[in-house]
Amino acid sequence: MSDGLVQILDGNTFVVSDSRGDIEASLTDPTGLFSFDTRFLSKWILTLDGERLNPLSVDDLQYFETRFFLVPGTGTVYVDAKLSVIRRRAVGDGFHEELTLLNHDEKPVEITVRIDAASDFADLFEVKDALKKKGTYSADVENGSLRLGYSRDTYRRATLISSSAPATFDDTGLTLLAQIEPHGAWTTDLDVVTAAGVGGTYTTPKYDRKGTKARPNMERSLDKWLEDAPRVESDWEPLKTTYRRSLVDLAALRFAPPVMGGKSLPAAGLPWFMTMFGRDSVFTSLQSLPFTPELAATTLLALGDWQGSRLDDFRDEDPGRILHEMRYGEMTAFEERPHSPYYGAADATMLYVVLLDEYERWTGDRKLVRDLEQQARAALTWIDEYADLMGNGYVSYKRRNEKTGLENQCWKDSWDSISSSDGEIPGFPRATCELQGYAYDAKVRGARLARLVWKDEAYADRLEHEAADLKRRFNRDFWVEDGEYFALALDSDGKQVDALSSNNGHLLWSGIVDKKKAKAVAANLMGPRLFSGWGVRTLAEGEGRYNPIGYHVGTVWPFDNSFIAWGLRRYGFKDEAAQIAAGILDAADYFQGRLPEAFGGYARELTKYPVQYPTACSPQAWSTGAPLLLLRTMLGLEPIGENLLIDPALPQGIGRLELLDIPGRWGKIDAFGRGRVHVAGRRSQRQLGLAEEIMPKQKRKNGKKARVTA
Amino acid sequence: MTDPTGEFFDELGSKKHEPMLRKASGVLSFDITDGTSTAHWSVVVKKGDVSVSRAHDEADCTVTTDRPLFDAIVKGEKNAMAAILRGEVAIQGDPELLVLFQRVFAGPAESIRRRDLAVAGRSS
Repeated sequence: MSDGLVQILDGNTFVVSDSRGDIEASLTDPTGLFSFDTRFLSKWILTLDGERLNPLSVDDLQYFETRFFLVPGTGTVYVDAKLSVIRRRAVGDGFHEELTLLNHDEKPVEITVRIDAASDFADLFEVKDALKKKGTYSADVENGSLRLGYSRDTYRRATLISSSAPATFDDTGLTLLAQIEPHGAWTTDLDVVTAAGVGGTYTTPKYDRKGTKARPNMERSLDKWLEDAPRVESDWEPLKTTYRRSLVDLAALRFAPPVMGGKSLPAAGLPWFMTMFGRDSVFTSLQSLPFTPELAATTLLALGDWQGSRLDDFRDEDPGRILHEMRYGEMTAFEERPHSPYYGAADATMLYVVLLDEYERWTGDRKLVRDLEQQARAALTWIDEYADLMGNGYVSYKRRNEKTGLENQCWKDSWDSISSSDGEIPGFPRATCELQGYAYDAKVRGARLARLVWKDEAYADRLEHEAADLKRRFNRDFWVEDGEYFALALDSDGKQVDALSSNNGHLLWSGIVDKKKAKAVAANLMGPRLFSGWGVRTLAEGEGRYNPIGYHVGTVWPFDNSFIAWGLRRYGFKDEAAQIAAGILDAADYFQGRLPEAFGGYARELTKYPVQYPTACSPQAWSTGAPLLLLRTMLGLEPIGENLLIDPALPQGIGRLELLDIPGRWGKIDAFGRGRVHVAGRRSQRQLGLAEEIMPKQKRKNGKKARVTA
Repeated sequence: MTDPTGEFFDELGSKKHEPMLRKASGVLSFDITDGTSTAHWSVVVKKGDVSVSRAHDEADCTVTTDRPLFDAIVKGEKNAMAAILRGEVAIQGDPELLVLFQRVFAGPAESIRRRDLAVAGRSS
């Protein structure tokens, strides 16, 4: 996102403006009012007596609400203004803007207030690629309002603009006359309502004209959201800041798909990825399970509703496949893009089963597991029936939509992310290693659910047998003997793509790694080639394509690291998991608690601070979820039957960590962790354990205490 | 003259149970316009049990479109969800019910053919 832009949002409706509150879309400044992947305003410019305004300050009240303080005059020299302007804007079904003019003069004033408005109704894909529109525009003044319209065949979108104070509307905006007494104020409420017309019915304004206290149409207020989440207490202050930031950002990232009756799931990123993504929604739901389990439930239901049912090459759809991305814009409507929904992800289907099982383990909600039996079975069937493209017993991917489909269908989805040590990029299909781990985990977890909930012993036996067979083959075929790690992928000839990568951590998380190989894998993850001091690099230093600022070939991804930490704990490497938590949480502190999608893979001692990788979206859902999962791994939270096992292993620098009111099948429970070493003067210490403190040899003393409160 | 829409509803009705609709429960009403006339079908789904009639039941979700498009949708030549976004298929009521129902529409014949070829290629 360009500097100086202000954004507010509610679900997939968001406004991006400059610091004056004006919208003036251009190719380089993607400002506008967006909803359902369509820009409904590309121009919204306020002038007083023909002059633009100057920003004094912007007050971001909430993620859905902001306030602009402005004065007339655009010169470089600040003039003692006799007039000030406040634009208070809240997003809803469109936005609501309370425009107030304050006269500081002893004389009455009369001011012509003008708002120029226009819409290009661009699809988000068009905004990115600057494509030309195929439909026709209209502007109609009707019943004291302006209606901007766009139509292409049966496709209709409209923006309705109205004002509470008397206004004269024309095709390009509205004009108002403000007569203000000495030291008086003048105000009007402006409503901009998007009309999507999905299915022929238009949405109606959520705010009525008198609704100056505009509220977003969220089911739960932000306050309630924060209140309901577990509390974090710690003597290391930055952790509390990061935790709160994560919760607030997670609230902003909630997206209520039209079919879910108001219930929300985590969208992928703000603002451009405010939609359902199979992979991102599942990963974020997994990270946030101990905190906000209702997100996981909605994710499972919504992705289940949209589960693939047929073969459709354009959408890369198969029966049982879980969607990759859903979009609602014009290009999707006219099948110029396949996102209605698009299914080109090789991992989401298996992760769906993993989430279903993990959800049951935390919440005990067997009803949902029963309700989704068919979906889970279809997902498990997909693994063997549709994902084994090479017929070699491994999940691989190759797009069938060769024009607009995704080439790379794993989370490292850039063109050069999968390579061998000598830098060679394999062809398709590709069987990346983490996919085999997810497949293994899905089968093991599916077997547990089959036995426990679906009462199908034979199916459980079959899945377990298949999982064991996969594990045996995988540990043979993917193991790079001389490096003692797992290859990044097998190519279409079954040959190893042998680069050392962070994917090894996901393999630990999945459980597919043979116990006797785990130690070497952990050592590689924590070794100098992969571990930067902040976290595990996506690709190891020394590999042909390694680049510390390459998107998936050397940067450190907080989300990736949170799952690596979980994987390390799964195999008993508590200190290593704590070390990763320390690095990522230290980095979070540099970003005021909001972790970016990725940061540079430079060695920590080289840069001293994490170098952010420039990305369009912030916050990103799975980065927001990373501190949550790290809290879980630090405290060693693991549901065992009806109980929550708590086995803390805190990094140096955290003396005390409490997570209070963890929701789950046990009601609510508190988890306490005590640091291993008392560090004198630790309160003034801002940073957690550094790289040279990896794996201290001394025996640590962990507090271990649990209290059931409900 | 072929009648894909009529055949689709006849076949669905004769199935009595459609496993792909196990998640769906409710009444869908289909108003398919053809020039000046409108043909109507009512589909009652209860956890996969299906009955189809021409009765005007009170619907949880009403789907309105024209016959050429609906013919194409049931044959797998057009995608229902994209048609909704285009405004070519209008829905009133519960959209989730239609999302669950659209699974029974066929996929593109060409996609099935290509998969058959791919599977044959792997096993040879």
